[in-house]
Amino acid sequence: MIQTICIGDLLQAELATPFRRLLTRPTGAAIRGRIERALAGSVCLTALLDFSDIELLDLSCADEVVAKLLMAVRDRAEQYVALFGLSEDQHEAIEHVLTHHHLAIAAVPPGRSAPRLLGWVPADARHAFTCLCTWGPLHPIGLARALGWSENRAATSLEDLTLLRLTRLAAGLYHPLPLA
Amino acid sequence: MTRVVEIPQSLDDRSFDQLAAGIVDWPPEEKLLFDARGAQWASPYGLIGILTAGQALAEAKRERPLLTVPNSADVKSYWARTGFFRHAEQLFELHGRAPRPPASPPSDVLLEVTPVRASEDVHSVVNKISETASRILHTELGLEMKATMRFSMALSEACQNIVEHAGTGGWVAVQTYNFRRRLGRNVVVIAVSDAGIGFRRSLEATHAKRFGDRWGDGTALEAALIQGVSRFRDPGRGQGLAFIKRFLDQWEGKISIRSGTARLSIVPPWDEDVPLSERLPFFPGSQVQITIPAQREPVR
Repeated sequence: MIQTICIGDLLQAELATPFRRLLTRPTGAAIRGRIERALAGSVCLTALLDFSDIELLDLSCADEVVAKLLMAVRDRAEQYVALFGLSEDQHEAIEHVLTHHHLAIAAVPPGRSAPRLLGWVPADARHAFTCLCTWGPLHPIGLARALGWSENRAATSLEDLTLLRLTRLAAGLYHPLPLA
Repeated sequence: MTRVVEIPQSLDDRSFDQLAAGIVDWPPEEKLLFDARGAQWASPYGLIGILTAGQALAEAKRERPLLTVPNSADVKSYWARTGFFRHAEQLFELHGRAPRPPASPPSDVLLEVTPVRASEDVHSVVNKISETASRILHTELGLEMKATMRFSMALSEACQNIVEHAGTGGWVAVQTYNFRRRLGRNVVVIAVSDAGIGFRRSLEATHAKRFGDRWGDGTALEAALIQGVSRFRDPGRGQGLAFIKRFLDQWEGKISIRSGTARLSIVPPWDEDVPLSERLPFFPGSQVQITIPAQREPVR
């Protein structure tokens, strides 16, 4: 199950202004608090943060809302976070802060086509992620065959994805996050 | 005794050092008179720099300084239209008649002189400028549409530096003008200034030790702008200036930061400024100028 959290609604509730601009650290921290409260009451495996209504996201807010949220939820075994509805400059801001922290997240483009990875992801792990999104759950042997890699290389890339919380390991298989 | 500090005829980020030199000692023992009678032009950096001097004197509990308004009717009218006198009369004893500001600023003033004291002011500044910025940046300066968002992000981060690091309030102004002598093209300029503790004191407790004897205003500026360090232990901090610098690389823009006795600039090919100037006359707080030139090929 997927929980969609509309960031525009949270912003309006927080600031009570018509503007859809996520600016400054205090605002970002307040929005992150609201997201964490929404996640705490959820039984969904994936939370999709919907930025469609957000016109502007500055770097401080990208750090407070996305990077610090990922740090806060990384120990929660069965809760994953992904993004939706980002504009190009929002991609850029989030990519910048996540790379700085060695974190990563999947962003679902409009039309819900293949997700894009933002942040710090090793090149092999990126290939493995694309493969999982295309083929579905895989064992390291299956990934190694699909990509012509050694089993060790495939296993390392899948472990990297799991550590970054971009895949889920269940019953010996690496699963792509349910995003649609 | 009153010391006269002459405002240069043309007051911008470079001639600003003459103004700082006129103050001589900080904090000054004497009453100061800022003499702008001969002023012919001032950039947004210059105008908010004057206000910063007034603010710093008030915060240092010095006698209220004097400010003589420009003799030129055009100049004082322009300064009034940028909102300068509205704030100057709170900080200075004005001598000479300052015109009343009109209801709306001139069209080249994207953001009139605006105080920044809290996060809410950053929201207000960005909200105020966003629509005009889009028109000016895209239509007049030929920047791609997505540049508007980056511009607003840069403005937001620059203003947040005041709130997060200065320990006091500051000022921001945004304007377009023709950079005839240095560039021969139009530019948009964001100027941000505060009367706070400056980069060296802000970073001293957490970073001075590793620089040893080299520690000073110049090294503090390099640490912040080049290495992205911050006084906060939170590893997410210190990225704002790095991000602004990256944007400016793409647009051949320039960022210049003056703090204490040093000024550090990221110098684009069109400018002849030196990257680091040290042993400048002391001026309180920090002053930032971001300059974005019109692109050579206009966007259709």
